[in-house]
Amino acid sequence: MAELETALRALGRDVAFPPTPDVASVIGGRLERPRFWRRPVAIALAVVVVAAIAAVLAVPQSRSAILDWLGLRNVSVVRVDKLPAAPAQGRLDLGRRVTLDEAKRRAPWLRVPDSEPDSVWVNESLPGGKVSLLWGTPSNVRLLLTEFTGRTYIEKVVRGDTPVERVKIGDAGAWFQGPHVVMFQDRDGRFRESHARLARNTLVWQVGDITLRLEGGLTKDEALRIARTAS
Amino acid sequence: MRAHQGIAFRTAYVIAGNASDAEEAAQEAFVKAYRALGRFRRGSPFRPWLLRIVANEARNRRRSAGRRAGLSLRAAADESSGDAAPSPEGVLLADEERGRLLAAVNELREEERLVIACRFFLELSEEETASALDVRLGTVKSRTSRALEHLREAYG
Repeated sequence: MAELETALRALGRDVAFPPTPDVASVIGGRLERPRFWRRPVAIALAVVVVAAIAAVLAVPQSRSAILDWLGLRNVSVVRVDKLPAAPAQGRLDLGRRVTLDEAKRRAPWLRVPDSEPDSVWVNESLPGGKVSLLWGTPSNVRLLLTEFTGRTYIEKVVRGDTPVERVKIGDAGAWFQGPHVVMFQDRDGRFRESHARLARNTLVWQVGDITLRLEGGLTKDEALRIARTAS
Repeated sequence: MRAHQGIAFRTAYVIAGNASDAEEAAQEAFVKAYRALGRFRRGSPFRPWLLRIVANEARNRRRSAGRRAGLSLRAAADESSGDAAPSPEGVLLADEERGRLLAAVNELREEERLVIACRFFLELSEEETASALDVRLGTVKSRTSRALEHLREAYG
């Protein structure tokens, strides 16, 4: 039984689905067309959307819900009762080690904090790619700053009682206190649990098109202080 | 919602059976979901809710076009441009085997093919599959085990 299921999952990775069209951008135009709604209706709708999101935030025990952070365009958050099993030493998918200069050549938008990282990595197998600045070693990470733009998405799975707090940094930011599971979307547009890993305290913020993610054994204030030197 | 467009489009594709209907269905579903966000039941999971709307749109398109669901899966021709190392499962499943298994899936009755596609190809949870196919959770379980049984018979 298990063998057949494994084979089917493997087969699923080889099925030639047509490439996903950029549906969200197209409908963005449909939703934002000014004549679409009269203004009071649009405002009422905006209030409803904000209220729906606030309601999810205000109810930490909510069983399971995703919220698309206003402003954090490339991050979605799933709340669950119990975290899925994910290794703490899970794959970091760092990609290739490069020099800081090479990383800057490849990603001119890269933001580097005051203190220089011990190593710099570029993973171009993700849609849009990501750059990771690492303090410590891959097997003993003290601090990890991951930056990506545009077509890269991450999903965070947090327990109902894990505080998620909006913070003021860049265009929008959020602080995740305590362990949670993080997944990067792969080039097929899927979030794979096999690629999930357990993350520690994390600050995620958005500057223009860039999403930055700082993870490590930091307090919120320490993370914000480091983040500000990179903003 | 942007983060979900991949899974939304694929789910629509599995049900509608062609890319242009799937794209339309996903678009329409996103607009509807956005407008209905206020009715989204607080505390319930978001993705199954979205997939239910997507799948409904996809079913409507398939029906109104008078076509039977023509999901026809084919194996990707070229894997060489991908990541350096193939997955262990990928190595396990040789080309010929893949072809045979795929043919067996395509031979299944539609309701069983859909449940296999949702659970294993799209890697939806049982709850999401129930939402997308508009059936009860128990039906997903029984249909999955029946489909696996039929596959095991056909595929050997």
